[in-house]
Amino acid sequence: MMNRRDMIKLMGAGMVMATASPIVTISHASKVEKKFKKYVGVPMSKVKDGSSMIKLKTPTIAETGANVPVAIDSKVPVEEVEWLMIFVDNNPVPRVIKVNLTPMNGKVYFATRIKMAKTSNVRAIIKKKDGTYLQAFKEVKVTIGGCG
Amino acid sequence: MAIGTAKIRVPRNIKKGKPFKLQFIIIHPMEPGTRKDKKTGKLIPAHHITKLDITFNGKKVTHMDVGGAVSANPYFAVMMRVNEPGTIEISYEDNKGGKWKKSVKVNVS
Repeated sequence: MMNRRDMIKLMGAGMVMATASPIVTISHASKVEKKFKKYVGVPMSKVKDGSSMIKLKTPTIAETGANVPVAIDSKVPVEEVEWLMIFVDNNPVPRVIKVNLTPMNGKVYFATRIKMAKTSNVRAIIKKKDGTYLQAFKEVKVTIGGCG
Repeated sequence: MAIGTAKIRVPRNIKKGKPFKLQFIIIHPMEPGTRKDKKTGKLIPAHHITKLDITFNGKKVTHMDVGGAVSANPYFAVMMRVNEPGTIEISYEDNKGGKWKKSVKVNVS
């Protein structure tokens, strides 16, 4: 059943679709997918949605792109995790940092501050030891870029 | 402060087998190599940390591949779990051949 709240969400999504021309959105998406494959090593379609398992903490609006705090906190047991990556779609080098964790870490947690060139999705990608990938992402709006 | 100095922060009371937060800041310009000098129009050469390792009593805990898009004077935080007292050592290097080390002793209760 669709209630009123769902209806409003749908309308919002529709408005976003209407404002961005469809051709532009497709080419942009494929560009990100190409970058993703180059820097992560797998196509984006192979990466499962892990937004329920990964908590990604970022500001919604960053005043300066030179210093954006990012914190990743995950419920995935550390024994199962091979590495963790921060990936920023619209950066010249989207792979910001890759962190290899071991059971001595005790918990999947990582925090740092990153630079962002412009408004973009910030992704947290986790590679598990069984070869599967999880990701969570959030959009961060940047008023002044920090990369150039 | 000189490039490469680090400050490490650990909690005062570390309990055996319980994860605690290890935080540190390294003084470094972290020049990504994509920025242009506004006066001359030339690219500023890259100068950033590339690798960082955390060890505990010589055992590997965490390894990081750091890119140029980490902020200047980078801050990092990870969790750690230890069962005995010992030394946490952080070693890191940059793309211009700089290598540094910093260690801190921890007591476990």
